[in-house]
Amino acid sequence: MNDGVLIEARGIEKRYPNGVLGLKRASLSVKAGEVVVIVGPSGSGKSTLLRTFNGLEAITGGEIVVDGHVLHQRSADLRSLRQRVGMVFQQFNLFPHLTVLENLSLAPIKVLKLTAAAAEERARALLKKVGLSEKHDCYPAQLSGGQQQRVAIARALAMQPAVILFDEPTSALDPEMVGEVLEVMKQLAVEGMTMCVVTHEMGFARAVADRVIFMDAGEILCEDAPEAFFGAPKHERLQTFLRQVL
Amino acid sequence: MPTPLSRWLWHGFAVALLAALGIGLYVASKRIDYTWRWERIPQYLISTEGEDQTAPFDGFVVVSDDGKLSMTALRGSETHQFTGFSAIVAGNGDLVFEGDVIAKTDAIGPGPLLVGLWLTLKISALSLVFALLLGLVVGLGRVSKNPAARDLSAFYVEVIRGTPLLVQIFIVYFFIGTVLQLSAFAAGVVALAVFTGAYVAEIVRAGIEAVPKGQTEAAQSVGLSGFQIMRYVILPQATRRVLPPLAGQSINLIKDSSLVSVMALTDLTKAGREVVSSTFSPFEVWFVVALMYLLLTGVLSVAVRRLEKSYAVQG
Ligand SMILES: Nc1ncnc2c1ncn2[C@@H]1O[C@H](COP(=O)(O)OP(=O)(O)O)[C@@H](O)[C@H]1O
Ligand SMILES: [Mg+2]
Repeated sequence: MNDGVLIEARGIEKRYPNGVLGLKRASLSVKAGEVVVIVGPSGSGKSTLLRTFNGLEAITGGEIVVDGHVLHQRSADLRSLRQRVGMVFQQFNLFPHLTVLENLSLAPIKVLKLTAAAAEERARALLKKVGLSEKHDCYPAQLSGGQQQRVAIARALAMQPAVILFDEPTSALDPEMVGEVLEVMKQLAVEGMTMCVVTHEMGFARAVADRVIFMDAGEILCEDAPEAFFGAPKHERLQTFLRQVL
Repeated sequence: MPTPLSRWLWHGFAVALLAALGIGLYVASKRIDYTWRWERIPQYLISTEGEDQTAPFDGFVVVSDDGKLSMTALRGSETHQFTGFSAIVAGNGDLVFEGDVIAKTDAIGPGPLLVGLWLTLKISALSLVFALLLGLVVGLGRVSKNPAARDLSAFYVEVIRGTPLLVQIFIVYFFIGTVLQLSAFAAGVVALAVFTGAYVAEIVRAGIEAVPKGQTEAAQSVGLSGFQIMRYVILPQATRRVLPPLAGQSINLIKDSSLVSVMALTDLTKAGREVVSSTFSPFEVWFVVALMYLLLTGVLSVAVRRLEKSYAVQG
């Protein structure tokens, strides 16, 4: 990969089967170690953009290369791509029939072919990192939303991905639990994890992001370092958006 | 929420209604001069009727003082010693002819109704196993990405659900059974399994589709293959959802199995018909047969409820 670029999207378009254009000519590149935060009004295509990065949505135009995988070609090996790209969902999407430990070790065992012992060791270390050492034998339903989302982050980390995509990771949480999840994400950023984060937490964007991206109506309207993005917003629609959310 | 007292009153009311229904039934049967003969029923559940021991030749019966039974031939000097009998039918010195019943052996065994129940149980259990396998495969076909798999499974489900079981049984028994030289029992299992499999397939499909899409996406995102997602993420969750409808379908299977009595198979229903024709006590017999089906289905419901409870921990 040239100069550590992990994600390179050039003029990508996503037209849903029902005709809705979720993405229009979006271009973005993310370097290893970068934290890119994507903001924008609801329905502006943030999730769609993020989900093209691990092939959950197939693009209908443009070119996209993620960690050396050429996704706009039919031959793209999505499974090997997804081992390198973690994802954290708004609704956590933990596996409810598995314990926390099993949630974390399922893919390392089945996909990375780790031994059960090695996978468990890795899982326990990650649970400690997200502050949930005691919860390994709980089922997801026995955890609070904040705890579930931290488990979901640990599950993504268990695959040792090159980049993690976060789609509104705190939007489904009660306000008092938002902090604990953002704290874990900050920690990851500090450790140099490459992250693409869709969020409405402007404080997080300001403090952690290397770059902030504003989307509206399926387009990337502008991108900037956080100081300029929030301090001197260039685009008129971004100004309106910031007035509404801040 | 009713108070405890009023709740018991309502329960009492229900019991009273049922009792009234029973009495009404009894009175109605009196009207048509029906004589209830419950005492005839037990022998068809447990048979004590032993086998006959018959005279091997013409001759005289000899019963000794210590209860031994033998025969001497009318012509010649042949003798025959009887053993293992429990009751002597003939008298000492009787002249009997070859084939006459001399004594009876005692043998407690299942009567025709229990034998029929056993066949119903066997055919239902075997059909259920095949129906579950078939239903799983076809259910997976229904949600498959492959259009051919989808078409074929949809075709199967529509054809089976759109035709009466009785007609299917006739087709399997008289057509497929004859071509493939199937026994009546095998034909019965095939017909019931194929019929129930279509309904199981729909239950499986609904169970799989009820698992939220986010589960598949999360599983894809950690790199699991399509097979692994089905095996480790979707099916375990679908299993919990399909248990109650599957229990209902299994109960239907037991009840539907009564239709195999149109083939040369003596299941519980066929046994009931045979007993009726020898006792002329249709009411008693059919009530008992109904109760025996209820017993089978009741045991199954309880077993499934246990199974559901064991899954409840995961919330
Ligand atoms: N699966 C889908 N099918 C059809 N249209 C969709 C689908 N997902 C999203 N869209 C549409 O695409 C646009 C962008 O959606 P999305 O990426 O979810 O926006 P955001 O995440 O910014 O709220 C919206 O107009 C939405 O209605
Ligand atoms: Mg979204």
